[in-house]
Amino acid sequence: MCLNSRCFGAGLLLLSMSFAVQAATPTLVVYTYDSFTSEWGPGPQVKAAFEARCNCTLDLVGLEDGVSMLNRLKLEGNNTRADLLLGLDTSLTAEAGASGLFDTHGMVLENSSLPDPWQDDLFLPYDYGYFAFVYNRERLTNPPTSLRQLVEDEQGPSILVQDPRTSTPGLGLLLWIKKIYGDEADKAWARLSPRIVTVSKGWSEAYGLFLKGEADMVLSYTTSPAYHIIAEKDSRFSAARFSEGHYQQIEVAGLVQGSQQKKLAREFLKFMLSEDFQTIIPTTNWMYPAVLASERLPAEFRQLIDPSPALLLDDKRVASKRKAWIDEWLEVMSR
Amino acid sequence: MTQLNSRAIPAGIVLALVGLIILAPLAGLLNLSGLPGYEPGDLRFWHSSYIRRVLSFSLWQAFLSTLCSVLPAILVARAFALQMNFPMRGLLLRLFALPLVVPAVVAVMGVVSVYGSGGWIPLGKSLYGLNGILLAHVFFNLPLAVRLLLPQWQSIPEHHWQLGDQLGMSTWQRWRYLEWPALREALPGVMLLVFMLCLTSFAVVLTLGGGPKSTTLEVAIYQSLRFDFNPARAVVLALLQLVICMLVAGVTLKLQRLPEVEITLSPGSRPQGRLQKPLDMALILAATIYVGLPLSSMLVDALSGPLLQIISSIYLWQSIAKTLFIGLSAALISVIAGWFLVQYSAGLAQVGLVNRARLIDLAGSIVYVVPPLVIGTGMFVLLSSHVDVFNWVYPIVITINALMGLPFVIRSLGPALRQNHARYHDLCQSLDLQGWNRFRYLEWPLLRRPLGLATALVAALAMGDLGVIALFGTPETATLALVIYQQLGAYLIPHATVTALVLLLLCLAVFWLLERGIGGKSDA
Repeated sequence: MCLNSRCFGAGLLLLSMSFAVQAATPTLVVYTYDSFTSEWGPGPQVKAAFEARCNCTLDLVGLEDGVSMLNRLKLEGNNTRADLLLGLDTSLTAEAGASGLFDTHGMVLENSSLPDPWQDDLFLPYDYGYFAFVYNRERLTNPPTSLRQLVEDEQGPSILVQDPRTSTPGLGLLLWIKKIYGDEADKAWARLSPRIVTVSKGWSEAYGLFLKGEADMVLSYTTSPAYHIIAEKDSRFSAARFSEGHYQQIEVAGLVQGSQQKKLAREFLKFMLSEDFQTIIPTTNWMYPAVLASERLPAEFRQLIDPSPALLLDDKRVASKRKAWIDEWLEVMSR
Repeated sequence: MTQLNSRAIPAGIVLALVGLIILAPLAGLLNLSGLPGYEPGDLRFWHSSYIRRVLSFSLWQAFLSTLCSVLPAILVARAFALQMNFPMRGLLLRLFALPLVVPAVVAVMGVVSVYGSGGWIPLGKSLYGLNGILLAHVFFNLPLAVRLLLPQWQSIPEHHWQLGDQLGMSTWQRWRYLEWPALREALPGVMLLVFMLCLTSFAVVLTLGGGPKSTTLEVAIYQSLRFDFNPARAVVLALLQLVICMLVAGVTLKLQRLPEVEITLSPGSRPQGRLQKPLDMALILAATIYVGLPLSSMLVDALSGPLLQIISSIYLWQSIAKTLFIGLSAALISVIAGWFLVQYSAGLAQVGLVNRARLIDLAGSIVYVVPPLVIGTGMFVLLSSHVDVFNWVYPIVITINALMGLPFVIRSLGPALRQNHARYHDLCQSLDLQGWNRFRYLEWPLLRRPLGLATALVAALAMGDLGVIALFGTPETATLALVIYQQLGAYLIPHATVTALVLLLLCLAVFWLLERGIGGKSDA
């Protein structure tokens, strides 16, 4: 124990030094989703890599998901601590842009690996993926080869999906069916409905039930089998390739208008598109990096299906129609 | 009467705080008009068939779940009460506290492991729908109801049993004249609590319900506050849920009879017929199997998971520390606040102001149905413009959890305290035994057991909480429940089952320590 006054003085000095150090290094606050910040997500590696080059502290704040982040930012308005939001997706960008809470990134996306050219002044993509129905090849030998076949074949496989009111993949399937069926989407849902085992709150519940063997297929991502191949050395799982193409989810980051550290924030955006960041993504976030040449991906990613053509609805249309489409879905599914 | 007045002050403060913590955030949310991208939207939604359907389904499933949980629980609690000595009785009763803390998604997996198409008792596709919802809700609530009802048998004085024996009462007569009057005191409250728990159920109903046909009001509130971002609508729906619960509570608590029986401390053996013991043991066995199956499936899953890797992770121990801190702090606050409320309401009941006593109980009980998401978001709105909310995560999470625990404190402490009052109040008056001395010499020895149960229940509940912590979560505050969700969201399902087991064992340990430490040696 150190109880004398000299010791106390030394303690005080140390304490004041630590304050001085804190004051000298700026802190960049990034709102993201909590599976990004968790121990096994990209967060810890991203933090270490960025702090090694920025002379700053990177504070990753994990919220539930993209919707929570955007709502939090709207609630905080100009009082927000956030400098950046990382993890919104293309079904939210129109709404986020309309809020007026984001500043232009002022960057050009070079060497993009996205299937379509990126045009958005407010948001920059860091990774992307495609929704797909995942199945166990030992259990299901002849999976449907198109969305139409899945919807229309009455003898088809049983499926697990998520609720579009509470989950991103759930909303993704809603948009996918809308993209293929247009005004006939409600009829498609009615035909598909008898083979839906259950509609879960989030991705985790549905995927967990699928692994327990509750249904033949589960709505997930084309990259899901990569997890089983790489992390579990288990190659039984595949995503079914649908001939119409797969609906796309692009995850983006945006610079907060009220940020006091836009220079540092733009530095982070630049880092986000660099190889250091991009190579972390495939095996921690299990998505395709937005600007990484395909030969830089882990070899196992080459075993995944080719999801082209990539399907995407215009984000402004989604923003204005989403509520009506969800109501339509509710109406059909509640019968 | 002066004593009653002096009790009114702390109780009044508690009630005022509870009111403030609930109403201020609601007001804060209603006040949000100048938000970017916010449209007031249509609030006349009772015209919409969606809300009407959601409302009737919520009530119907909650009603059925309550019946299916509480009626068997009466039989099982009675079996436990009559059979005072059999191996592992104490352990079984502690196991019965576990389902309460199992995070909903883990419980869903457990139920599916047992009743799913690959399960031990496969129900196939018929699991998804009302069946699955009821199975899961009974799994959560039957054991809870057993724990809360069991003390009622202990409250029947020894000499009543002896008298019944001398009068040659049949089992039916004993039930009618000894047990039922004691039970009636606690039963309505327990039913109300279970009803509220089922009414606000969310992930269980959505996932096991099979589709949007099974939607509760809680889902509609969540949807309003998140995807639609219509705080005003969320508040109106939350108030609707609150009003419904008040109506149900009003009816339920009318059935409650305040005590006329005395409390006793030394339960001996109960007189019983020859068939009684096998029958009781069969009931206990059935309930144990029902509760034990999903728990064992979790255990089986966890034991085949990466045990060592998880237990040796520093993150796990950090989140254990955080989980304990939140759970124990919330329990302490909740029990102290609940103590003042129940004291005052017992005093009111004693002097015949039964309706006012009920009203206080009611006020403390129905807080549970205001969704934590709504309170949390509202608090956020109120605080964020004044302070840095990130420094307030712990106080907010602990406060809301303490609030959510209040109904459990009132249910487990209320009956015992009222009985204590009825029996000893006059004695205390004549001996001028008050305040600390009264607590030390009279209330503590007689009430430590329900106090232990109350503390343990709230601690366990707060340790398993997800609703509040997820709202404010930052990497520094990942509790075990949140870690489980993060793992499930990252394909790490085997890891999540191990973490869930750690959470269960931690709760078991906390339960054991609190019940023993506060409640003393004898088993419930």
